[in-house]
Amino acid sequence: MKKTLYFHKLVIAGLLMLFSGFQLVAQSQISGIVTASDNKETLPGVNIVVKGTTRGTITDIDGNYILDLLPGDEVLQYSFTGYETFETAIAGRNEIDVELQAISELLDEIVVIGYGTVRKSDLTGAVSSIKSEEISKITSVNPQQALQGKVAGVHVTSNSGAPGDGVVVRVRGVGTFNNSAPIYVVDGMILDDISFLNSADIVSMEVLKDASATAIYGSRGANGVILVQTKTAEKGQTRTIINFNAEYGIQHLAKSIDLLDGRQFAIISNEIRPGSYNNVDAVPNTDWQDLIFQTAPMQNYQLSISGATPKAEYYIGMGFMNQDGIVPKSSYQRISLKLNNTYHVNDKVKIGNNFTITPFKQRNAPNVTYQAYRAQPLLEPYYADGSFGVVYNVGNPLADLAYSNDYRSGVRGVGNLFVEATIFNDFILKSSYGVDASFHKGKSFTPAYTIYNPDGTASQQNNLFSDLSKNSSDNFSWLWENTVNYNKVIQKHNINAVAGFTMQKIRSEYFGMAGQNLIRDAEDFWYIQPSYIVDETNNINMVQSIYNGVDAGQYYSMMSLLFRTNYTYDSRYIATVTFRRDGSSKFREENRYSNFPSFALGWNIINESFMQDIDYLSNLKLRASWGKIGNDKISYFDQFSIVQSGLFAIFGNPDAAFPAATYSKSGNPDLVWETTTQTDIGLELGFFNNRLTAEFDYYNRQTDDILIDLSTPGHLGNGQGQKVRYNAASVLNRGFEFNLRWRETLGDFNYSIGILGTTIHNEVLRIGGNSGIDSVLIGGYLGNGIPVTLSSVGNPIGAFYGYVTDGIFQTQAELDAYPHSSQADIGDLRFVDVNGDGKLDGNDRTYIGSPIPDFIFGFNMDFGYKSFDLSVDIQGQTGNKIFNGKDVVRPDPYNFEEYVWDRWTGPGTSNTEPKASFGGYNYTPSDKFVLDGSFIRLRNVIFGYSLPTHLVNSLNLQKMRVYVKATNLFTLTKYSGYSPEIGGNDVVSNGIDYGIYPISAVYSFGINVTF
Amino acid sequence: MKKYFYYSVFLALLLLSSCTKFLESNPQGVPTQEAFPTTAADALLSTNAAYATLRNWYYHSGGFPILDIMSDDAHKGSNPNDGLNTVGPYNNFSITPTQDGLDRWWSALYQGVKRANVVIEKVPEINMDEALATRYIAEARFLRGLYYFDLVRAWGGVPIVTSTTPPLEVSRSTKEEVYKLIEEDLLFAVLNLPAKGSYGGNNIGRASNGAAKALLAKVYLFKKDFINAEKYAVEVIQSGEYNLEPNFIDANGKNGQHGVESVFEVGAMENESALGNQYANTQGVRGTPNRGWGFNRPSLNLRYSFETEDPRLKGTIIDLGDVLDGITILGDGTTPDETYDDDGNLVEVECYNRKVWIPGTSTDTQFGHNRRLIRFADVLLMAAEALNENGKPGEALIHLNRVRERARNGNPDILPDIIETGKDALRDIILNERRHELALEGHRFWDLVRTGKAAQVLGPNGFISGKHELLPIPQNEIDISQGVLTQNPSW
Repeated sequence: MKKTLYFHKLVIAGLLMLFSGFQLVAQSQISGIVTASDNKETLPGVNIVVKGTTRGTITDIDGNYILDLLPGDEVLQYSFTGYETFETAIAGRNEIDVELQAISELLDEIVVIGYGTVRKSDLTGAVSSIKSEEISKITSVNPQQALQGKVAGVHVTSNSGAPGDGVVVRVRGVGTFNNSAPIYVVDGMILDDISFLNSADIVSMEVLKDASATAIYGSRGANGVILVQTKTAEKGQTRTIINFNAEYGIQHLAKSIDLLDGRQFAIISNEIRPGSYNNVDAVPNTDWQDLIFQTAPMQNYQLSISGATPKAEYYIGMGFMNQDGIVPKSSYQRISLKLNNTYHVNDKVKIGNNFTITPFKQRNAPNVTYQAYRAQPLLEPYYADGSFGVVYNVGNPLADLAYSNDYRSGVRGVGNLFVEATIFNDFILKSSYGVDASFHKGKSFTPAYTIYNPDGTASQQNNLFSDLSKNSSDNFSWLWENTVNYNKVIQKHNINAVAGFTMQKIRSEYFGMAGQNLIRDAEDFWYIQPSYIVDETNNINMVQSIYNGVDAGQYYSMMSLLFRTNYTYDSRYIATVTFRRDGSSKFREENRYSNFPSFALGWNIINESFMQDIDYLSNLKLRASWGKIGNDKISYFDQFSIVQSGLFAIFGNPDAAFPAATYSKSGNPDLVWETTTQTDIGLELGFFNNRLTAEFDYYNRQTDDILIDLSTPGHLGNGQGQKVRYNAASVLNRGFEFNLRWRETLGDFNYSIGILGTTIHNEVLRIGGNSGIDSVLIGGYLGNGIPVTLSSVGNPIGAFYGYVTDGIFQTQAELDAYPHSSQADIGDLRFVDVNGDGKLDGNDRTYIGSPIPDFIFGFNMDFGYKSFDLSVDIQGQTGNKIFNGKDVVRPDPYNFEEYVWDRWTGPGTSNTEPKASFGGYNYTPSDKFVLDGSFIRLRNVIFGYSLPTHLVNSLNLQKMRVYVKATNLFTLTKYSGYSPEIGGNDVVSNGIDYGIYPISAVYSFGINVTF
Repeated sequence: MKKYFYYSVFLALLLLSSCTKFLESNPQGVPTQEAFPTTAADALLSTNAAYATLRNWYYHSGGFPILDIMSDDAHKGSNPNDGLNTVGPYNNFSITPTQDGLDRWWSALYQGVKRANVVIEKVPEINMDEALATRYIAEARFLRGLYYFDLVRAWGGVPIVTSTTPPLEVSRSTKEEVYKLIEEDLLFAVLNLPAKGSYGGNNIGRASNGAAKALLAKVYLFKKDFINAEKYAVEVIQSGEYNLEPNFIDANGKNGQHGVESVFEVGAMENESALGNQYANTQGVRGTPNRGWGFNRPSLNLRYSFETEDPRLKGTIIDLGDVLDGITILGDGTTPDETYDDDGNLVEVECYNRKVWIPGTSTDTQFGHNRRLIRFADVLLMAAEALNENGKPGEALIHLNRVRERARNGNPDILPDIIETGKDALRDIILNERRHELALEGHRFWDLVRTGKAAQVLGPNGFISGKHELLPIPQNEIDISQGVLTQNPSW
């Protein structure tokens, strides 16, 4: 009945509209002001549409609006990103003031989950999200950086501070010995990496953490799923919004390492090798760190245009980022182009696209930070004639910088086309076809050069022939997804279901070659052509190597069926069942398919009648989930038994080589997916009308069937040391997550304070078979080939191992009384006889710390007062250790860290720092080099000021904000290196400081204008 | 509506039918074992691969010449600290089942077995010239026999693998079963391999009928089946294909490679380690000229055992100060020229194995030494030994004295002809002749073991009867097998 009535009204309205065209005088005006409920501030840019028409307006900078009405206009619709859309009947009024409810404040926030959305109150999984305003706070190539300290359970570390370098992301601990990175789903495209995305184009990132949320991604969900939504225009948005942001920053080395100066080094050298320096007060003093680091600019510009017509919405984004490194000759430039369109064919059918194209250019510096760390301070960088001075054993870092030319560039395009149709009112059919295509190339050139010793002879730092190497790789994948969504509310029953069929194919190939002795050094000649490459003696070309193949981890096809249903009864009881069946070409036919189910329950206690009287509680929800998910990030290759070529038999007289080929080691056709079983229990709370919100989760994820390499019996003929991959390890991660936030508005002042944290308990449950062999996994090889990690049952993945120190042997009597290595002497470290067998040997090496933090936390504050805003983000971690690998490897005399100055020089002088030595015994991997990696970092401080409305309006602008920002301003840590953030993609070589490119501190200034 | 239904059913079926194919993927750039060897060219490639193991450093007793080091002919060598705990313990029988090198040798021999098995199992299925196929298979069976012969001599009864897809766990067979397999393989090779002389050009160095017979003779010697040993050794001698190099050093040297004395040798190229053989580099002169690591130092015992003025002494040992091919041997600075024991007795002098010498000064060329696995002098001495055991000392002396005659090199004052005909005395003389003729070529330790003299000769070095005749099964192999493999007695 109601519907018919409405229809009649529409007809009447339509007729009236027809007339209105002729009778302009009949119109009236309505005005008002729109404010936000969270901070009571006026909201500029709010869309106001007369419902059922395309007519509307947008609020000005002060939140005011005026709209011409036509007879028949009945209802006004107010919409604004981040706020609940509000409708009100005009009912003859000519002034309507509206307060929009901020979505973040509402329980019925819509949460994006895999293949659909769900109301937050109906969610049974553990999902955390951050919005564009948080994402855009961080200026980085890697949008994931924005998750650091903002999402409980997510740990983000930088590999290094080199421009363009990636980050290491771990969701809820380290789940496998293999690739432990989460997957990213950008507008439906399943990807391994999102460094091609411009943060400014992202509207939200949701981290799916538990099995209920990730099982819909089946074999790829085990290490977490990060959903990324890019920006689109609002449907019905009448005004074209143009936003421009410019930011300029200066980066500098936040902290240098305390090393010995020239005089100190000379004194210590004289102790080790008496008579090395006659006058220690007269030696030069070079601060090598000072010579290789510079302050460097960073620029970031974004422009976005979004708008809508009745039939279409569009979003165009453009970004340019230019970052120079704090080490010369390192830089990164990226252009990002974004185009998201939706066309409404009719009420029921829409088609659209999401496209991103990102060309980039990167320049890499050689690892001069390690050289500067090692270079003796009493050597001088240049000779009197200005040529490079020799730096014994290390090489002159300035020369390496001067002669190194290493470039990478590429382009990545990711996009999809989709069609979406609503049928029978409740079903939405969607088909989407997407591609991810990228092309990368690299070139590296080193000219011929020689650094000379003071006596004029050539030093070891030289390059006899110029070297050129080039490589390229291309990657193409396509993903075709077909889903049907069903949404139905029948009285108290709310059903939300999705089913789908998807196919994906991924291919990647690389090609590379290297040559020597180019005819000229100039960049114009950096091509490998036989005619341009000459041998100094006989003019033959010296092409060194050519290689070509596929990337074994990026060569596979997948086919999947997926299903999920979310059922809510009376907004109180929720059940979710998820199921995905994946088939992958990475496995043999018998093991090709696997099923990944999950089950979850939720209870909105707050909606129970007995809760109605508890006023201070605004939300109370309990949820629990269980499920199995997989990890397929492994090589496609291990299943195959392949033929080994490149062998030779030598026959004939004189000897000549004849090619040979035969069976290589046997593959393992029985390989299956790594499977993670995860249980999650969550509690969500809201107090005082959700001014205080809290979320607690307990998680327990156990990964089984982890792929590791095991030794095979010799009689199989695989050859010595050849290992074969088996599903033969298990790892447990468990812990608690919490996320608390307080928001309040006091007149002109509003603020929000959030604190969140995660505990991680990581433990290896099983490695290898039942025999003693392969029951541990050794890794973390230092530059001298000595491993410093050992993963074994009961300890964390990649745990450090080595000797435990217990003071210094002060006297001969002490030395004689204690088991010691034959190399140990008075004044040397005393290693503990851990196994108590009365002798000191390799068996006394033991667990000496974990690279995995046991607690990671973030502390975030936002303040707003009138036109001023301030945000402060603090983040940190405790319990992890860093292995100071750069200090340990000392085959030759290098400079020392300053702590060596407190060395033992005689009985009683020190019981922690042994007598000075250039290497050897005291530098055996031990807990002396395992340093506390805990830190608290003031990660980001932003202070902004929005220009007054009248000023902005007079410039014909909607909004203008200027801000200053400081990133990595301050870090509280005991760690002696540049930064306690030591990443590492290889989980068994994690947390080892090999002498990394430091992360810089950045001070920047920015301006943001909305037209 | 119905039409759309059929369309969708059709589409769904199409999708499903293409599914299995969609999820198939083959490895890129390399064939799989299912598709190899399938052509005549593949057959040749896989046969060649069975030979490639011979240049694997590990094939040569795990890399280091431990057989000579365990014998009374040699010490560890190199400088005192180099390989002290890895190679050193072989010198005084203080090795353990986890000793460095054991697993390398074990794995390399089985890798050779596997490569031979590929040919033996797959080549018969290939549609190709049948005679050629049979020759390839015979070559592979010769090599398989060669590899198993090392296995059975080093470890006794070992797991027998005759398939390319053996089970993960195979228990040890008896020594007799292993010998039976070797015998079958070599008899097949004898029947189906061509004579050495019929291999020409690019096939020089392939296993021949003569090589198979010589190896078979050796196998019978180890089995103490002297009748058969005599038969095959004499057949090789009577074939007329072989003779002794006039010059003793050419028997192992560059000049004699693939020469008249060579029965079976491992071809290797100079300059490039990928095509060379590190066997000689391991033992090459250390220091100046830098020809290698200097392992396998000839012992004083060996030096003093040579008969007066036997020219083979200088053909076996390089001393400091020697000038070879115009190059003065200065040796290694960090290695003492002379080593004394605690009582002040001279126990070692710095010297090197002459038999792996290759003219030149660079390290790389040393990789080009063609190791002679079987040479004619060995066959003559095997024949002599078998004939003596079979009660034919007269015939034995002919072959024995032929070896001595060559060694004498025309000097009538040295190395007189042997005239002894007493079986026991002649046996000792022949063993001693083997020592001097074949020193540092990997024969001595096993000769002592098979003749039962090991305890007597090597006892002072630590050899324990009933234990050290065999090496211990590598501990990691026992661990991986989870106890299926049992250790040799007393280890």
